[in-house]
Amino acid sequence: MWNLFVSIFINILLWIYNLIGQNFGVAIILFTILIRIITWPLNAQQMKGAKAMQDLQNDKEWQAIQKKYAKDREKLAQEQMRLYREKGINPFGSCLPTLIQFPILIALYQSIIRALAATPLDLLKLSQSINPNFLDVGKLIPLNSKFLWMNLGQPEPYYILAIIVAATTYIQSKLTLPPATNPNDQSAAMGQSMAITMPLMLGWFALTFPSGLAVYFITSNLLGIIQYAAQGKANWSNLLPKSMRKE
Amino acid sequence: MVLLGALLLSACGRTVRGTTWPGLAADDTTAYLADLSLVYAINLKDGTEAWRFSDPNDNKAQFYATPVITPDGLVIVGSAASKHTLYALNPRDLLTNDNFKNPAVEWTFTGATAGWVASPLIVEDKLFAPNADGNLYVLDLNDGQSQKQPIATIQLGGRLWAQPATDGERLYITSLDHSVFAVDLTTYAIVWQADLAAAIPGSPAIGPDGKLYVGSLASKLEQFDPQTGEHQSVLNVEYWLWSTPVRDGNTLYVGDLKGNFYAYDAASNTLNWSIQPDGAITANAILQNDHLLLATESGSLYAIGKDGKTLWSEKVGGKIYTTPVVAGDLILVAPLETDFYLAALDSNGRQVWTFPTKK
Repeated sequence: MWNLFVSIFINILLWIYNLIGQNFGVAIILFTILIRIITWPLNAQQMKGAKAMQDLQNDKEWQAIQKKYAKDREKLAQEQMRLYREKGINPFGSCLPTLIQFPILIALYQSIIRALAATPLDLLKLSQSINPNFLDVGKLIPLNSKFLWMNLGQPEPYYILAIIVAATTYIQSKLTLPPATNPNDQSAAMGQSMAITMPLMLGWFALTFPSGLAVYFITSNLLGIIQYAAQGKANWSNLLPKSMRKE
Repeated sequence: MVLLGALLLSACGRTVRGTTWPGLAADDTTAYLADLSLVYAINLKDGTEAWRFSDPNDNKAQFYATPVITPDGLVIVGSAASKHTLYALNPRDLLTNDNFKNPAVEWTFTGATAGWVASPLIVEDKLFAPNADGNLYVLDLNDGQSQKQPIATIQLGGRLWAQPATDGERLYITSLDHSVFAVDLTTYAIVWQADLAAAIPGSPAIGPDGKLYVGSLASKLEQFDPQTGEHQSVLNVEYWLWSTPVRDGNTLYVGDLKGNFYAYDAASNTLNWSIQPDGAITANAILQNDHLLLATESGSLYAIGKDGKTLWSEKVGGKIYTTPVVAGDLILVAPLETDFYLAALDSNGRQVWTFPTKK
């Protein structure tokens, strides 16, 4: 099943690669746009879920319940679930789309490695992943792995991509953070923490893994920022220092 | 969730056994297995370890090019890792380190800029070493240098993944970048270059008619005039050809990645027969007296008569991509995805020993 998933990715990636004149970097960018379009409803749902959870944190009824059952965690959980039902909130609505990103990420990583075929086994697996009636990959191999200054099958050695990945991830995370009005808001605290850890982690991925993956991160981040902005949900003030925000 | 993602990706990026298939060679007494971070020497008589070698300067070393043994007993093997060093190991001079015996390094060559996937070819006192950087390096085996400098660097381009073949006059070499080259053995000049419009991961074979035969990912067996480089397709197969054709009289035997095994008559330009064992074929067939040995991705070893009938088959286990080696009475097989790295079978396919020994 997993192999089928990766195979679909590879076939689409190579189809795009062939269509646009054999530029693997551009193929990854176009493929990322395609993934973003397909997962657009999921991302929209994530934004909606995050907003609903944020609203809940400021809900008077919820704050009263938290106070009332501060020492009875079981009852608090029951009341929380009741509120979720009443307000039509899916507690997993905000994290499920993020979870779905991981299989996509891992499948894309495997697709890039397999498509660029640095080892004989990668090339053999590529032969078993493609549909020969769909694409004559034997003629496309070896793929052109050069894109700008990068070899897409190798980590980028100059730290440039890692910095851009970390920066765009940070910006995207910050833009999506709603203003924390409740000091006890755990989800806001978690969001703040993620806004620091995610850029560091993805920056480290960009340093360690093939630069093709970093191209995916950057494209995906930029598209995410555009999506938030297009929907009018980008919180640009979060990019400013706290002192300036107060003014 | 974040940690899970990091863990999964980290696991993907590690150099683990199974990254690609090992290289296997043998002499009269010893098998040599290039298996990622280590090169093992294994005693043929009982499957015990004679010595092992790891790249002291590169803990990410990946050895999978087939080792080559020189007439004076050096084992030459290249690393595909970042430092891509070509080593000549001297097993006559063993040192004991960390409870393992390690061979001395007789010489190294560090001039290549990409990994070693192809096995080099020895022609008299010269070593012709094709590298994935697109260069064919010519080294003098007898110059006494411990840090080799090439006496010639022939820039062919593309990625060179396959051992060259020679007819004594020229060297024939294939490239993943669709080309076949003929190089003069004395002047090192490129005599001709031909484009097959498809990648060529396997070595060329010199046929009974003196012609050159090359399989490609265009799923064709091409016949070349070795003098001019003119070529024509002589056999269309079902899928990619990776393995090198094996010659017996007028017949060439070759397998494809769909698992078909073909017997092609070069004299009459006809297909004698084809059979379909049980898996993709990347390994070359081996010619024995009255039959052929063939390994498949499904982990099977077949003995196939020259009429295409299966004489016996043995499930060795795992997946076999590496060309088996016949050493004395033993057939050596190096599968992936098994708990042993090497199995020795007798001439009837019965297992004699495994390395490491099965627990």
